[in-house]
Amino acid sequence: MFSLALKNILFYKGRSITTFILTFISTVFLVLYVSMTDGSHDSMLKNSLKIYGGAIEIYHKDYRDIGGNEYLIQDVKSIESKLSKIDGIKLFSSRYETYGLLSFKDNSTASMVVGINPTKEIELSQLKSALQSGEYLKESSQNCIYLGSGVASKLKVKLGDEVSFIGGASDNSFSADIFVACGIFKTGLFEFDSSATFISRVYFDELMLSKNKASYITIKVEDLDEVDEVNNEIIKVLDSENLESLTWKTLMKTMVEAMEVDSIFGYISLSLFLIVIFFVIMIYGFINVSSRIKEFGVLRCIGLSKRAVFSLLLYEIFILSSLAIILATPIAGYICYYYSINPIVIEGIAQMYQDYGLVSDELPFSFDIFTIFWNICLIFILNLLSVVYPFFYINSFKPIEASRHV
Amino acid sequence: MIKLASVNKYFYKGEAREVHALRDIDLNIKAGEFTLFSGESGCGKTTLLNAIGLLDSIDSGKIYLESEEVSTLSDDEKTKLRLTQMGFVFQAYNLVPVLNVEENIGFIMRLRGFSDSEIKQRVLEVASILEIDNLLKSLPHAISGGEEQRVAVARAVASKPKIILADEPTANLDSLNSQKLIDMMRELNEKEGISILFASHDEMVKKSVSRIIYMSDGALV
Ligand SMILES: Nc1ncnc2c1ncn2[C@@H]1O[C@H](COP(=O)(O)OP(=O)(O)OP(=O)(O)O)[C@@H](O)[C@H]1O
Ligand SMILES: [Mg+2]
Repeated sequence: MFSLALKNILFYKGRSITTFILTFISTVFLVLYVSMTDGSHDSMLKNSLKIYGGAIEIYHKDYRDIGGNEYLIQDVKSIESKLSKIDGIKLFSSRYETYGLLSFKDNSTASMVVGINPTKEIELSQLKSALQSGEYLKESSQNCIYLGSGVASKLKVKLGDEVSFIGGASDNSFSADIFVACGIFKTGLFEFDSSATFISRVYFDELMLSKNKASYITIKVEDLDEVDEVNNEIIKVLDSENLESLTWKTLMKTMVEAMEVDSIFGYISLSLFLIVIFFVIMIYGFINVSSRIKEFGVLRCIGLSKRAVFSLLLYEIFILSSLAIILATPIAGYICYYYSINPIVIEGIAQMYQDYGLVSDELPFSFDIFTIFWNICLIFILNLLSVVYPFFYINSFKPIEASRHV
Repeated sequence: MIKLASVNKYFYKGEAREVHALRDIDLNIKAGEFTLFSGESGCGKTTLLNAIGLLDSIDSGKIYLESEEVSTLSDDEKTKLRLTQMGFVFQAYNLVPVLNVEENIGFIMRLRGFSDSEIKQRVLEVASILEIDNLLKSLPHAISGGEEQRVAVARAVASKPKIILADEPTANLDSLNSQKLIDMMRELNEKEGISILFASHDEMVKKSVSRIIYMSDGALV
């Protein structure tokens, strides 16, 4: 049966070549598309992790879901002393995050105002290197505010201007102050730049009554590959019901989910493409089978079972798709591999994609054997499925009718 | 070997255009007979052969093969019986276009799981009886109609079935080729003891067969 299938493939060249080419193209296309999407998402994640996120962050339970002053970490000092004993932690720092209204002249905007330790943040985040104009915060900077470029432009603030702040302190009392715009930063994370502002903790804690309190503690590890081990150690050492220590994988979940929603349109058009390919392959198979009704009829009459007919069709598509996929996979795989090492650089793409947090001109592909494998399986299964309808079509004829079919 | 008991077959049963294609057929065919079904066009020869060959259902009556009732078997069982017990020769387009003559002749043997050497030997044997041994490597489209029918007969006999059903195998052949085909079938019938059921309105077939069954309007006469 296998050799008969092979002979049919060689005999019905038109159908074979079309099926082969379509399978080849769709395999290459799917693998590259998925690799590109995954790759750019990957680099977005890495970028945002580099810019502001911590490899591990410690929160009071419910702070992330509910928020508010009840869920602040209350005893930062004791936690920090525990953390300093753990191996694998490079650096940590607490942040006090609050939301307030910033105003300058007639312009106001809501902002995430964060009290930070300026020195530690130099290593923990890219806040300092993102400096656009003015200067970065110092420990001793009194009422200096470090503004995201988006915030600054919304307020129409220039360096040296006085910005008023209104917010709620950590004891739920009302707090207000006037800050001087000392510096403006731009990370390229669009959302971040247009909402975040920073103030040195030493000064901010006085205003917010937040000494020894924190929204969370952000931690940089020695080796990102060992983040889970370090995190387990932290959980053990903290030994607290009220605290949770989370790695970036969990913390980025919302971002990952956002990306998934984001790529849904991509996947819809991708599946449309695959469906079209599927139908074209099926129609070619169907036309081929229709021209062979008589042949199948005679075969069924002389004693070929339905199952044998089905396996004949299956063998034919199996051989064709295997050949196409075997040829397409190394090519597509190599392209993915090549561009995962040498990302495509597209001038200006960072501007275009800043909404999505892509902050470099590089568009790296991801190279993941497992992903490539399931892509191939998908194409393969679709191809195999394409014989189902032609098979039922043949079977709708009685063998004797089919043998006389004209 | 084959027995039919009051077999009836209708087309378009219950409709105005109903055709009573087989009327109360009682028939007994012994092993090794070369039987010809003769009669005018439309008398029911094809319908009867299809019924015996389990290619078409019947409406009433019973068909026995080696005293086993076969008319009530499932489709799959019928298919299996066709493969193992019967050989078929149709009027035209018998062969698998992508297989050469040798592979076509050996096709059923291969399906039935004969070994390569058995197949090769048997193919040569029947090919030489049917005088197609010089065509073994040709594809069906490259041989003549007469040769094609002989290949079809070779395929039908190769796996040594009990019966061969041939519905007008000579219809598309000139008289010379028809005669040749019939002579060769007769030879196989005698040499190998295979029963052959043959439907034809070809007059010259009559003198080569061992039994002639006349039909008219769906009934035996
Ligand atoms: N598939 C079918 N559907 C409807 N009627 C049919 C069908 N096959 C045969 N008949 C009818 O049954 C009757 C017997 O036909 P059958 O083909 O058996 O005759 P035949 O003896 O083989 O004729 P011929 O010598 O022309 O081949 C005819 O009246 C024919 O019209
Ligand atoms: Mg007929």
